Amino acid sequence: MIEQVYFAIFAVVALCCALGVLVSRHPIQGAMSLIGVMVALSGIYSLMASPFLATLQILVYAGAIMMLVVFVIMVLNSAKDSSTPRFDLHACVGVVPALVVGAVICRLVWAWHALDGNRVQEALAKEPAARGTVEAISKVLFGGRETSGWAILFLAVGLLLLTAIVGAVLLAKRRLDKPPATPAPSHGGHA
Amino acid sequence: MIFLPTQSLILAGVLFAIGLATVLVKRNLFFVLMGVELMLNAANLSFVAWSRTFTGSAGLDGQVAPLFSIAVAAAEACVGLAMLLAIFRSKETLDTDRFDRMKE
Repeated sequence: MIEQVYFAIFAVVALCCALGVLVSRHPIQGAMSLIGVMVALSGIYSLMASPFLATLQILVYAGAIMMLVVFVIMVLNSAKDSSTPRFDLHACVGVVPALVVGAVICRLVWAWHALDGNRVQEALAKEPAARGTVEAISKVLFGGRETSGWAILFLAVGLLLLTAIVGAVLLAKRRLDKPPATPAPSHGGHA
Repeated sequence: MIFLPTQSLILAGVLFAIGLATVLVKRNLFFVLMGVELMLNAANLSFVAWSRTFTGSAGLDGQVAPLFSIAVAAAEACVGLAMLLAIFRSKETLDTDRFDRMKE
């Protein structure tokens, strides 16, 4: 019962912050709302027996990724939402497919719940509370079953991150071969 | 009483819809990126909720998949923000309505 109360709190926080991302004008407000969503989702993860993922959600999403987003927003600084109005025909047309997708997902989940929910709920009642610990997850990742390909996928993700770092550096750096069109006065002696 | 995974799946569906609406409605590139992050978060929540419906260690695969999803999201944010910087440097704007040609 108490976990239902906690879930209700986290779900309301997540929904309000997600709507805040949708309606906010300045990207900084949107980023702060998104951090609220991620913290609330971390709470929901720990309610659903996965403390490791809850920690990782805070560390990587709210900590690293959103820090990067906020940093770039502050660097660019001219990032006001465009002068076009928020609620015009284009916005209404954009909301329609989102509503359709959300309705279809909720309908499918509800159909699954009506079909299979009670059996799963009874089976879950006999389960231990916390199982997604670091030890259990690392056993699935690296040890035990011979057939699981998670370890190879882990190496591939390392390669992907390396590629992303190199690509980001190449994309974001200034062209070295051609000088900037108008040298900034603040960089005076540097150029 | 509806149990927790079903509620979480419905929450994930609603969050995904809000993220999709953000991507489609907003004209600022930052908001488009944040909408994508919101959709990725909803997908992670759905992974965890489905993993909760399996008993024993069978469901732990559903808790390993979000690890990779988070790593790919980190790579996506890294490259996406670098592209955003490059676009802003050449166009001096982040309004998606202004990006109607690939060159210049």
